[in-house]
This record gives sequence, structure tokens and C-alpha cells, in this order.
Amino acid sequence: MKAFMSVVALIGAMGILLLAGMILEIVPSNTVRLVEGYMPMQILFELSLFVAGFTGLSYVLGTMGMPIPRFWQAIAFWSFILLYLKFRVYPPIPFSVRAMYGTVSLVAVFMWVSANEEDWKKFKQPIMNILDAQTGANKMLRYGYLVLLPILIGGFSYNSMVPKSEEPIELRTVHPAPPASTKVHGKTYTLQTSQNPFRVNAEGKYDQEYSNANIVEQGMGRLMKPNANPWDKDAQGYLKYVREGGEIFFQNCHFCHGDNLNGRGLHAFAFNPIPANFTDPGTIAQLQESFIFWRIAKGGIGLPNEGFPWASVMPPWEQHLTVDEIWKVILFEYWHTGYYPRTWD
Amino acid sequence: MGLVAGKKLFSIMALCAMIGLLLLPIAVSLPSLAMGADAPDAVKKDGEAKVEKGRDVYYKTEGIVVGAPAPKTVDGPRDYPRYNFESRVLLWFANQQHLYYGSFVLAVPIFCMVIEFMGVVTKDKTMAKRYDQLAHDFIKISLTAYSLTAVLGGILIFTFLTLYPAFFGYLSSIFRPVMHVYALMFVAESGTLYIYYYGWDKMTEGFLKWIHLSMSVVLNVIGTLLMFLANSWIGFMMSPAGVDEQGRYLGNIWHVIHTALWNPLNVHRILGNMAFGGGVVAAYAAYKFLASKTDEDRAHYDWMGYIAMALGVAFLIPLPFAGYWLMREVYAYRQQMGITLMGGLLAWLFIIQATMIGILFLSTNYYLWQALGRMRGAEKYQRYIKYLVFVLCCGYLVFITPHTIVMSPAELKAMGGQQHPVLGNYGVMSAKNGGINVIITTTILSFVWYMRGNKVSTVSWSKFGNIFMGVFFGCAYFNIIGLAVLGYYIPANVRVGLSVPQVATTLSCLFFMFALNSFMMKGAKQMGAIEWGKISARSQYALIMLATAFTWMMGLMGYIRSSVRLFWHVNEIMRDNSPWAYTHTVGFAANMISFNVLFFWVSILFVFWLGSLGIKKAPVEAKEGVLGGTPQPAGGH
Repeated sequence: MKAFMSVVALIGAMGILLLAGMILEIVPSNTVRLVEGYMPMQILFELSLFVAGFTGLSYVLGTMGMPIPRFWQAIAFWSFILLYLKFRVYPPIPFSVRAMYGTVSLVAVFMWVSANEEDWKKFKQPIMNILDAQTGANKMLRYGYLVLLPILIGGFSYNSMVPKSEEPIELRTVHPAPPASTKVHGKTYTLQTSQNPFRVNAEGKYDQEYSNANIVEQGMGRLMKPNANPWDKDAQGYLKYVREGGEIFFQNCHFCHGDNLNGRGLHAFAFNPIPANFTDPGTIAQLQESFIFWRIAKGGIGLPNEGFPWASVMPPWEQHLTVDEIWKVILFEYWHTGYYPRTWD
Repeated sequence: MGLVAGKKLFSIMALCAMIGLLLLPIAVSLPSLAMGADAPDAVKKDGEAKVEKGRDVYYKTEGIVVGAPAPKTVDGPRDYPRYNFESRVLLWFANQQHLYYGSFVLAVPIFCMVIEFMGVVTKDKTMAKRYDQLAHDFIKISLTAYSLTAVLGGILIFTFLTLYPAFFGYLSSIFRPVMHVYALMFVAESGTLYIYYYGWDKMTEGFLKWIHLSMSVVLNVIGTLLMFLANSWIGFMMSPAGVDEQGRYLGNIWHVIHTALWNPLNVHRILGNMAFGGGVVAAYAAYKFLASKTDEDRAHYDWMGYIAMALGVAFLIPLPFAGYWLMREVYAYRQQMGITLMGGLLAWLFIIQATMIGILFLSTNYYLWQALGRMRGAEKYQRYIKYLVFVLCCGYLVFITPHTIVMSPAELKAMGGQQHPVLGNYGVMSAKNGGINVIITTTILSFVWYMRGNKVSTVSWSKFGNIFMGVFFGCAYFNIIGLAVLGYYIPANVRVGLSVPQVATTLSCLFFMFALNSFMMKGAKQMGAIEWGKISARSQYALIMLATAFTWMMGLMGYIRSSVRLFWHVNEIMRDNSPWAYTHTVGFAANMISFNVLFFWVSILFVFWLGSLGIKKAPVEAKEGVLGGTPQPAGGH
């Protein structure tokens, strides 16, 4: 048991050292890489490992006769989580989300230290010692807090009230609700029921299963399926339309949305926010094709009132592309990213 | 003998009167329900040639037009008379208060029915009396709240009539028969409630008690039907049916009632009311516990709080699934509405909702862990609580991660896009389904620990049973998380279907593990007594937190449901042309909800105080059993 806990404690110690290195910028944040596709679980796994490590560390120090008081365990664990979120995860997490996570972890720490009376007493002890002030040192500390706490609270209040020159925070709607129908080149399309006319099988009939079977493979390689190369001269039907959509994409869209469709085109960083990343599972993979059709046709300027603040420079492509060209480019986007359009059946 | 027979006869007559009251509105409204019958007559008066047909906007059936088109309102004193402030805020307040009280008075009789039933079937006489007394105390509180509900209903109607006459006129022209049936049902509900309450002491034992219990069933049937009728109005406003594109009524009242969202709304509201009612009663018990001066009172209110919490949570667990069904139906009805709710304008309110749901489950778990402290022998579980805290909080963090992140332009630029490449993955439904199912499964695990806290199984297969339960929970977590991860690699429409096995896993844990645990604990060795009243004050604050979170969440969800119509009084049929046809900011809505919550709690404290003036003291012999710890409350043991 001791040997096992020592190994676990080693993990905890390594975690602390790694994080300290990242904070002091000795160790780059990406030393242990967050692997694309596995990142969400990787973070949870890392945190689980650290919790186990800290349990081991606490156990080992306890057996060595140097137990860490519960109060300091709680403070240290909460600080670790806050620092982990700030320095380990890259790109930086916006403050609003870190504040949410920080509050939840504070609640978690409280639940842990007060789950039973014994732990709660242990946790409270240092606080009670200072409040009771039975020794000279505690008395001094109590006076210190009496002065420091109001200053601290005053400082926070001042900081939150003082006028700032930063740009205001925006609550941008990522997926504005589409209208029930949209009119493009004189024809009305009902978004709930419209289908891509080029998503067809070899017989020329609408067939999503057929097209889904021919998209690139999801994952890191994004490989084309065998015998499903749109750039094959003999490609017909769906694959031919994908190729035509690709040509339209590279003539019009890739400057912003990028040649890998990840929103990092040549001009992307001239915009804020940068253009949509189609490889993200939160964009086109979540939407119906007809939604994409509406967004391409109408662009940023055509967003509804409830889509405010619009913050989109996407041109209304109906002024530059035909209806068929818009449908084809959508076909290409799904094919290239390896996603299926959302359906409601 | 003659007296008993007389009582029996009287009780049967009272029950028959209740059933009569239940059937009365239906009998009276039968001619009205066959609305189509008088409609053509009205048309016939103007001659056959003028019969005009319309197409139902939802059912797509053809019907004879019998109503006027929805009025095209204009901003002005005729359609929108007002005071010097936003009319809808006044309406919001009146509506919300009526709903709070309505939910409470509909939920409490269901509790009374369950608790009275538990009292009737339990073999322990002392416990039976305690259950009966508890149910009686509840209905007494509900009685005072009932009259307040009716008063608030009146205020709501007057607010509608005086501030939104055109809209209310249109709604009542369509729902005329339903509104009359509703009024009659209300009379039936009142009559039944009074007979049930005042008959309590007259029907205390044997056959008479069963008659009394049957009355509570009738009372709850009436209450539920009443709520269904009220739901049909909001269902119509969100997803109209039974009218043509101009809003003209086509004569089929069932189509108007049975709209696309009526059924999911009904289910969601029943469960929500029950969870809310449990929360309110638990908070009441917690308040009384904290104010108690004697151990005896503390023991009583500790027990009361536990029962109310257990009942509330029993309905809280399926509530997210009912909510999921409602949202699914909303998407199926109008994709536009679904996106506005979950991914668009109102998405941030859903993050707040997720936060509140998380608080509900965290409070419940925390209460259960604290409750382990009043059981001798439960110490063995306490050292593992920290791991449950970790698992719960991981689920919670994923569940509340927003898809649309609030950030400054500088943060947006540093992040390199609208979605965070790591956390953005938590913002989509696949991860969130995993998060909430992990939270619920962990809550079930906490309940299992609580139920076996002071017991050691004595069945011969207890070792196998424990291992089986451990493996079952392990597999459940693996399945839920595995499916959540898999969701990223499959199409969205298939991913939606993954919620079914995830929910099935959670429910399997709920039913199988509770059942198995009960079998294992049959005749179990008691390691120590449950010392009612010897629970930390923190646990009672957790109950108050639970109730406040319920109240806040109800206010929030009501606002979201109403706001999703955007600038429509009746979706796509009658436009809101008042100056307030815009969506409030998140901050304003949060303040308004908080005000409603505060007002409700202040007013219900007054109701509790009124109720406490007349509450009878429990029989002495019943209270003696409280501290002994031998009686085990149902619901948990």
C-alpha cells in the first residue's frame, strides 16, 4: 500500500513541479501536448491523475509525520486548479469561463472539507484559532486581518468600479436562429425541408447515406475513401459535384476560411472574430445544410435582429454565386471536413 | 355499530360527491366540446354560400372557419393600454406568482396522497400516526396557499384584461369552452379539497381511511386536469394549432388544446411541480429545524425535511429527461425556435439553467452526505466522499461550459476563434449529456450509500452483491462517458439518439441498484440508530439552497419558454406590436427573476406562519418514537 501510494505521490509532486515550471515559463505549456480529438478527455484525465497524486502525497506526508493541515490542503488544491486552468490550457481560456470553473472548484473544495464533522472541525481550526486569538501571534494576525480585509475588499470594489478603456465584453450569438424560409434568386426555400439537390447517388436520386459513405475519414489524417476521389477524371454524380464545389471554394472562400477549412485563411487574422472553423464539431456538423445555405446566401448583412451583435463580414454570396454553386460549395465543405449535415429524421 | 355504519355511508357519499364534482365540468362542457356542432349553425344563418374553409396551420386538415382572424394590433391605448412603465413586467410578476403558488398547491396534495398512503400501509402504528400527522400538516399549509393562488389568478386575469385586451380577447374567443371548463374544474378542486381536509378527523381508520385516501386520488386527478387545461393556452401560444394562417378558429377544440408541445409541457410541469413542492416543504422543515428549541422538534423537522427532500428529488431525477423531450419536440416543431433557445439568443440562459440544475444535484448530494453523519456506522463511507465530489464536479464543469463564450474582443483574438479548441468540445450536446448523466448517476450512488449507511447486509450473497453493484456502477460510468466521447465522431442526428442509451444506463442504475440494495438490506444488521435531529446545520442550509434553486430555475425556465416566441403573442399568428416586443437583456431578466423569487419566499413565509397558527401538536405517544431511531422512514429505507 505504502509503495503504491508513494508512486501516486510522485505523480502529484511531478504535477506540481510541471505546473510551477509553466507558471515561471521554464516549461512551455505544450510540453505535454493536448492531442487534437482527445483534448476534452485528456484534461479530465490529467485532473483525475493530479487528484490521485495529491491523495498519495497527503498520505505519504502523513505517514512521515508531516501531515498537511486540512485548511492548507484545501487552499493549495483550489490554487492548483486555478493555476492549472490559467497556465496549462492553451490557448488561454476567457476569464468568464475561468471564473465559472473557479467558483465550481471552490464549491467542490467546500463540499470536501465540510462533508463530515471531523473534517469540518479540522478545516475550521486555523480560522477559529485566529478568531479566538489565544496566543500573541494569533492576536497579531487577527489585527492584521482586521486591517487587511477591508483594504482588500475596498481594492476589489475600486477595481471593479473604476472606468476602464478596454473594449466591452460581447455576448455574440454564434448560431443565430434562421428564418422559416429564405428567398434566394427569386425562389423561396423552406429551411426545415430544403435539401441539397446535388447530394445524389449514382442514379441521380437524393441519397444522404450514399454521400456520407464517400466523405473523407474523420480523424487526424482526413484520408479519402478508396475509389472516392473527386479529382478523378471519371468521377461522376456526387463526387463530381464535390469537385466543382471545391473549385468554387478555392476561388472564393479559402482566402478567409483556409485551405484546410479551419478558419485560418490568408486574411483570417485581419478579422475579429476570425472566420468560422468548419473542422470544429460545433459549427457545420451541428447544422442542417439549409442553415448553411441561408448563411452563405445572406452573409453577415442578412443576419436577423436577434443575431446581434452581428460581427460578421461574410459577404451575401447570393450576389456573386448561383444557387447551384452555393449548394455545391456546401457539399464540398461537408465532404472535406468529414462531417454529415444534421437531419431531423 | 350504527354510528360506524353511518360514518361509512357518509364517507361513501362524500367520495361520490367528489367524483361527481370531477365529472360535472366534463358533463357540462360536453355540448361546448362538440364546438363544431354549433359553429356550422352560426354559419348557416348567413346562408350556405358563405361557408368558408381554412387549413389548420399544424394539423394541415381542412375545417370550416368559425372564428375571427387574430387582431392586427397597433401600439396605442386601444390595444395596449398602460401605466407609465412596461406592462409586460407587471404581467410577468402576476403570472409568475400565480404559477409558483399554483405549482405548490398542486404538488402538496400529491405529497399528502403519498405520505397518507405510506401511513396506511405501514405496520408500525407509531410511524403510521406520524405519517398521517405530517400529511395533515401539509394539507393545512396548502389550504392557506390555495386561497392565495385563487387571488393571484384573479389578479392575473385582470392584468391581462386591462393591459392586453386585444390579445386576451383573441385567446378567450378561441378557448371559450376550455376556460369555462377550467372555471368549473376550479370549483370542483376547491370542493374536493375542503371535503378532503375537513373529513380528515372523521375518517381515521380502516375502511373509512381508505375512502379518505381515495378522495386524495380524486383531488389530484382534478388538480392535474386543471393544470393540463392551463397548459393548453401556453402550448397554443408557442405552437398554435386548430387555426388557419390568419388565426381563424376552425371549430375543432381538441386541435387547439392538443398542440405540438402540449404533451411534453404537461409531463415536464407535473414533474417540475413535484420537485418544486418537495423543495418548498423541505425548506419549510429546514427553517423550523434551525428555529427549533428542543431536541424533539429538531428530530421532527429533520425527519420532515428528509421526507420532503426525498420526494422532491425522486421527481427531480427524471426532470432533465422530460426537459430533453420537450426540447426535442420544440426542435421538431420549429428548428428556428430550437436554435433560438439552445444555440442562439437565449443560449446563455440555458447555461444559467445548467448551473442551477447542477446546484440542485450538488445540494442534494451534500445533504445526503451530511445525513450520513446522523447514522452511527456510516463513517465507513465518509472517507470516500471526496471522490464523489470530484466526479460530480467534473460532470458539472462539463455541463455548464458555454458554447457561446462571454469574452472581450482581446480574449477572442487570443483564443483564435469563436470556439475554444479544447473547451469548445464541452459546449456541445454530446458532452453535456455525458455530464448530466454522470451527475445523476453519482446522486444515485450517494442515495445507495445513504440507504445502507448504518446497515450491514446479512444475506449469504452479500459479497457477490457488493461486487456486482460496484461493477454495475463502474460500467455505467464507462458507458455514459464512452458514448459522450463517441458522440464527437458520428453525425449529429445519430448523436441525438445516443442520449437514449445514456439515459437508459442512468435509469438502470436507479431502478436495479435501488432494488438490489433493498434486497441486500432486508433483515440487515443495524450498526447503530438513525439519530434524527443530530444533523449539521449545514445540511439544512443545503435544503434551503435546494428550494431557492428550484424557485429560481422555475422562474428562469418560464421566462425562457415565454421569450422564445420573440415578437409574437401567438407564434406566427398574432404579432406583438407593443413597444416591448423585444427580448430583455440577461441582466434584467435575472434581476426580475430574483425579485419574483424573493417575493414568493417572503409571501410563503407569511403563509407558513398563518398555517402554523392552527397546526395541531402530534400525539405524545407518536413523538416518543421520534428519538428512538428505530422507526425507519420510507423513501429511504
